[in-house]
Amino acid sequence: MSSSHNRSNNNSEGAKAEQIIFEFFAKSLHIILESRTPFMSSRNFSGDQMICSPSSSSSSSSSVRPRDKWFNLALRECPAALESFDIGRRSSLEPLVVDVVLVVRPLVGDQMNLSGKGELIRNFSGKDYQSGWNSDQDELGCETKNEQIIERWVVQYDNRKIRESVTTSSRRSSSNKLQVMYKKATLLLRSLFVMVRLLPAYKIFRELNSSGQIFKFKLVPRVPSIVEPFTRREEAEMQKFSFTPVETICGRLCLSVLYRSLSDVSCEHSTPMSPTFITDYVGSPLADPLKRFPSLPLSYGSPPLLPFQRRHSWSFDRYKASPPSVSCSPSPTRSDSHALVSHPCSRHLPPHPSDIPTGRRKESYAEEYPPSQDFSPPPSPSAPKHAVPRGITRTESAPVRIPAPTFQPKENVVAPSAHLKLSRHASLKPVRNLGPGESGAAIDKLFLYGRDDFRRHSGVRPSANSSPRISFSRSSNRSFQDDFDDPDFPCPFDVEYDDITDRNSRPGSFDHRGDIHEPLDSSGSYPKKSQDAAVGALVRMLKKAPPLRQDVSESSIPEICWNNNNSNKPAGAHEIAVASITASGIALASKTTADALEELRSYKEMKNHLLLSQSTSNPSSVTTSPFDV
Amino acid sequence: MNCEVCQLKELEVESFEIREVLRCILHTIVFHRALGLIRPKDIDLELFEITYVQCGEIEVEKKIDEKIEQFINWIEKHPNKKSQICLSFYEVKSKQPSWFTNKIERLYWEQWYINLNVLQPAKPPVGKSHHSKLVMDPGEASEERSSRRTLLEQSLQEVLFQIIKFVNEKKDHVPPINDGVIYCPFEITIPSSSDSAFGMDMFKRILHSGHPSMLG
Repeated sequence: MSSSHNRSNNNSEGAKAEQIIFEFFAKSLHIILESRTPFMSSRNFSGDQMICSPSSSSSSSSSVRPRDKWFNLALRECPAALESFDIGRRSSLEPLVVDVVLVVRPLVGDQMNLSGKGELIRNFSGKDYQSGWNSDQDELGCETKNEQIIERWVVQYDNRKIRESVTTSSRRSSSNKLQVMYKKATLLLRSLFVMVRLLPAYKIFRELNSSGQIFKFKLVPRVPSIVEPFTRREEAEMQKFSFTPVETICGRLCLSVLYRSLSDVSCEHSTPMSPTFITDYVGSPLADPLKRFPSLPLSYGSPPLLPFQRRHSWSFDRYKASPPSVSCSPSPTRSDSHALVSHPCSRHLPPHPSDIPTGRRKESYAEEYPPSQDFSPPPSPSAPKHAVPRGITRTESAPVRIPAPTFQPKENVVAPSAHLKLSRHASLKPVRNLGPGESGAAIDKLFLYGRDDFRRHSGVRPSANSSPRISFSRSSNRSFQDDFDDPDFPCPFDVEYDDITDRNSRPGSFDHRGDIHEPLDSSGSYPKKSQDAAVGALVRMLKKAPPLRQDVSESSIPEICWNNNNSNKPAGAHEIAVASITASGIALASKTTADALEELRSYKEMKNHLLLSQSTSNPSSVTTSPFDV
Repeated sequence: MNCEVCQLKELEVESFEIREVLRCILHTIVFHRALGLIRPKDIDLELFEITYVQCGEIEVEKKIDEKIEQFINWIEKHPNKKSQICLSFYEVKSKQPSWFTNKIERLYWEQWYINLNVLQPAKPPVGKSHHSKLVMDPGEASEERSSRRTLLEQSLQEVLFQIIKFVNEKKDHVPPINDGVIYCPFEITIPSSSDSAFGMDMFKRILHSGHPSMLG
């Protein structure tokens, strides 16, 4: 009875001991790998548990993984690393050998491989880590000459002393022995934990881990299935540290390390690669100057705003000679913006312009653009008409964020619009060579063009041809409305001439778009500057122009505008307008202005003619006739 | 219970190095005696290329830092002295209650002696006779300093190895792991106002706890 009890006890103790041994192997391996696999270590997380890796932080303080409880040592989880070795399949009698290999890469040849192999090893994700290990197997073949084993850890369970240990400590109760064994194993693992950080290889690991540079060497821990014994010479070069074995019920746990001294190891250090090599990668900000700018407002405050905008104008100007190519530009920014906006953009035009003034932009967008449209490539130079819808839809989606940055010095609004803004340029360009950065001016001018165009070609507002115009006016309507709603809008634009003109043209464009039938009582919102006033007056005058043709009785309004705002310098205002227009790359608008003035003159002539004819009929009224022009 | 004693190799340190050196040594020892569930914390020394491990317990860190500050204060008052810091681990045993004795008794089972020789930083030459050497001093001094630093780094590493070896060799005296106890209770003794008082204090403690190994 008692013997059977003892036997069962022994069995259970044996199983427990076996489990402790297994866990000891696993923990040892974990400790070694964690401190030898760059970017996998707890040192990255040790400074503050709160900034641990997801796995580690999830298990921080409050939650304890079952494996952490073993030997009371919570390590950063790298299950993939452990699983990849699959020590579960190992026999506990088989020694576990971990070689830490210093792999020296050829300087240039392996650059590409680096991204495939080295990066994988660096990667935190367990999967990549694992694949990194697989790739190391490949490297065994091609880079063997550049490898050096700098550490060899051997964990083994030595059961040769079974009889001895049993006989020597047979008096102790087995449970007590288990406790002692467990305690000693715990102590040994703590020593191991400290030891791995004292050995020279840790300095390499630290260097690889801490710097963002690419080294021509890397540290690769391996668990070879077939252990190649060191030559006598090699062994002589290495130093050995053997931990005091932990006695178990039927054997002992041994842990030892052979390591190279620091001088041997440090000679392998190489000058790190120049970091500029990486920064030139395709798609990097350095590779494409355009790419840089969208990110600038994100990282800085208001200063980047204007350079940002200017850069856009500049970049546009640079490409102006071939606008369609810009829209097709493979630049990352554009593709980014494309990614952001192009899906809606690639859809068809709003079916009918009559929908346009109704509802909010998004709503109307949803209504107007069924999602089943084709995703056409960027507009080609030969298809400007097709480009227009894209542009429209871009502006359609853009105003949600674009308007504010374009006109307001509000950096918080600028940042998110960076991509959209670019996309807007791209979309606008195919239309009419519009000014890129000054979308307000651009839209304004576009509208002017549209009106001109409208007058010349269609003559009827809600026509199919006018849909681009309407879309633009719609978007700008919204955006300008946003601008005016924003209390920050009156902020001084004291920086750029372009901006001033933009701003000047804005109220006009607002008037145009906001409500065409709106009475011209918004002069109070015009900027106080004389230039502004002049441009405002000009715009208003232009606005007044069309009805003049239709209704002769309103012909006196342009005069009033001139008188109210800047009656002295109509020509100056005209110049400013032209300047801004040319600066934005719009030659058409100047033509429009000229047309409008011409038209005005013709109206005045008509009026004069009428008055004269009246005066001829009634001579007393001649003296009161308001001839100004 | 046996009280194991480990005399660590003496280190020659300058006063500004004391903090790092002591932290490194004390934490490494305590880490080996923190047998509860811990999350180790790697700490890179600033002065030396050495990484040591903390057990991650805030109380431990606080306690060690407090004692180090006390020690540094003491060193400032007592320059150019060899000094010893003792880290003692103990178990708390409740005595049989009696009228005049404390109910709680500390049973020391391990003591670590950290031996420091605190060097005064080389003072700038005062006398005129040294004046001519002043021009050469910066280079020489920095060279000397760096070589001294390298030596200290090596020595510190040796001390850490010594700790590991000791921990490995002496395991039997370590009390069993108790659930919920993260680290073994310890105290750090620094020299008090006078060396003799420090010695007296230690003597009293030895008598009190009655460690045969200490008496021997």
